[in-house]
Amino acid sequence: MKKANHPLLGIHYVLMMVFIYLPILMIVIFSFNNTRLSGNWEGFTLDWYVSLFSNRYVMEALGNSLTVALVSTVVSTVLGTLAALSIRKWSRKGRAGLNGLLYLPVIIPDIIMGLSLLVLFSQMKIDPGKMTIIIAHITFSLSYVYVVVSARLANMGRQLEEAALDLGASRWQTFRHVTLPQISPGIIAGALIAFTLSLDDFMISFFVAGPSSTTLPIYIYGQVKRGVSPEINALCTLLIIVSVILILLAQYVLNRGRGQKKHKMLPM
Amino acid sequence: MKKSVWTRLLLAGLLTTVAALSLAGCGSDKETLHIYSWADNFDPDVLKDFEKQYDVKVTYDNYANNEDLLAKIKAGGSGYDLIQPSDYMVKTMIDLDLLEPIDMNNIPNFENISETFKNPEFDPGNQYSIIYTSGVTGIAYNKKYVKEDIKSWDDLWNPAYEGKVLLLDDNREMIGMALKKQGKSNSTTDEAEIKGAEEELKTLLPNVLAFDTDNIKQKMIQEEGWIATVWSGDASFIAKDNPDVAYVVPQEGATIFSDNYAIPKGSKNKELAEKFMNYMMDPEVSAKNYEFIGYSNPNTKAMDFHTEEYRSDTMINLTDEELGRTEWLKDVGEALQTYDRSWNELKSGR
Repeated sequence: MKKANHPLLGIHYVLMMVFIYLPILMIVIFSFNNTRLSGNWEGFTLDWYVSLFSNRYVMEALGNSLTVALVSTVVSTVLGTLAALSIRKWSRKGRAGLNGLLYLPVIIPDIIMGLSLLVLFSQMKIDPGKMTIIIAHITFSLSYVYVVVSARLANMGRQLEEAALDLGASRWQTFRHVTLPQISPGIIAGALIAFTLSLDDFMISFFVAGPSSTTLPIYIYGQVKRGVSPEINALCTLLIIVSVILILLAQYVLNRGRGQKKHKMLPM
Repeated sequence: MKKSVWTRLLLAGLLTTVAALSLAGCGSDKETLHIYSWADNFDPDVLKDFEKQYDVKVTYDNYANNEDLLAKIKAGGSGYDLIQPSDYMVKTMIDLDLLEPIDMNNIPNFENISETFKNPEFDPGNQYSIIYTSGVTGIAYNKKYVKEDIKSWDDLWNPAYEGKVLLLDDNREMIGMALKKQGKSNSTTDEAEIKGAEEELKTLLPNVLAFDTDNIKQKMIQEEGWIATVWSGDASFIAKDNPDVAYVVPQEGATIFSDNYAIPKGSKNKELAEKFMNYMMDPEVSAKNYEFIGYSNPNTKAMDFHTEEYRSDTMINLTDEELGRTEWLKDVGEALQTYDRSWNELKSGR
């Protein structure tokens, strides 16, 4: 028996989608607008994308963003996975406590995290720069990787590993040939999420940034005060595309071989 | 087969980390000048010339407002060598002991700067700062819609412009404007005067299209607004895209502001920062730089190297008579709360 939806719900759905996606769509459209003033449509152009890539400061910011994202992703993925693996062996009680502590950075407001890191760094006399941004990004990415990987571990259960050990595999062999292949989608998904978050982060980076460590979001923020140029629209469009691709990729990897139970991170 | 995939992945990850860390860790060995300033505040070519001529590296990061800058410098150990605070922020930073005194012996080109902009009241004797550019908050109006001869702040109140007036979204600027209109100081600490300015501004609300600092240029160019309170440099920018727009410094007087060079305490390359300032004040370099950014050049010697178009721009080159009518915003101390209260009441009353 098919339940008919109330027609108002359909309208609500459409309005909601417009509400969420219209602003993003505007940025994408205006990045192709053939005028320096963002108000009216004056024809299609790719000039802004061209001038974007010939802008030294944009390219520097892009380089910084990618460096930070790559390094923080690799480090936080390794550390987060190790944390998930080791905490699994703990007692239920200890696990609950540690779980809570590791989840916390996901919930703590960015601004508090940024401020506390800034205070920490200046107390420790660490010069702000790319290194401090990387450390900060590892700090919050770690939690996301941990959450994704430990969910995967919980789904996996212990039986396969116990069987492998019974059949004479060493601990390392068990890990390499049983555990790791099972949780690898979780690890990759965690890494992709960490990369996306790092690429997008403004608030925390802003607090701990120093000379020549301007990331793309910080650059965009500085530019906006001078009036939004279509170059910024182009830059945002590229960032949106990269983020969406990465999230979709994470979703795809996470769902591989999962059958019915699908993770959904995007409404697609 | 599977084994090799994992090993390779691990190796790749490790290699990326090492490569990226080494990239992040070490820069070049060249002396490096770390500039922290507003976005697009220099001609990139001029920075490049400086790098070449002195065989140094220049890095350039942006902040969006003076308060962000203050937060960063106050936190300490920011690593910047040269910053560009606005007038009132120079004073705040001097008071907080955040600035390094400038050694004028290293900046012989300082003599090229116009006397008008030397020895400002926020930094007597230019101990800590040198002017970079300045402007005046005046009235920009579109001659297509505004037929009257605009001379006074009064004109914003003309009922003919109902819903067509654009104002800056800035507490001190706008209350300061109303105070000027009433013939008072833009930095009064008298509560009754501030309240009076608030009442004055309330009567302007029916005319106001928007309080908008960030998009005021676009809105004037696209003729959404007819008349607006605009910084002189922005007015010149608007007029280049929309020649119908004119600009005037009202007869009652107006607020003047400036961005300045300063060296934050803790700079590791103070001398290089001074070398840079001196380079930027070379007449020819200066002309090239200000042609690009389109703001007022306080360098009198540079005028010979400027294009005719730049020299004839009355919005960039304000006369001494116009500048004589202006007043700096001063630190008002405790009274700032009264300004904040009035401003909030004004904006929530809309």
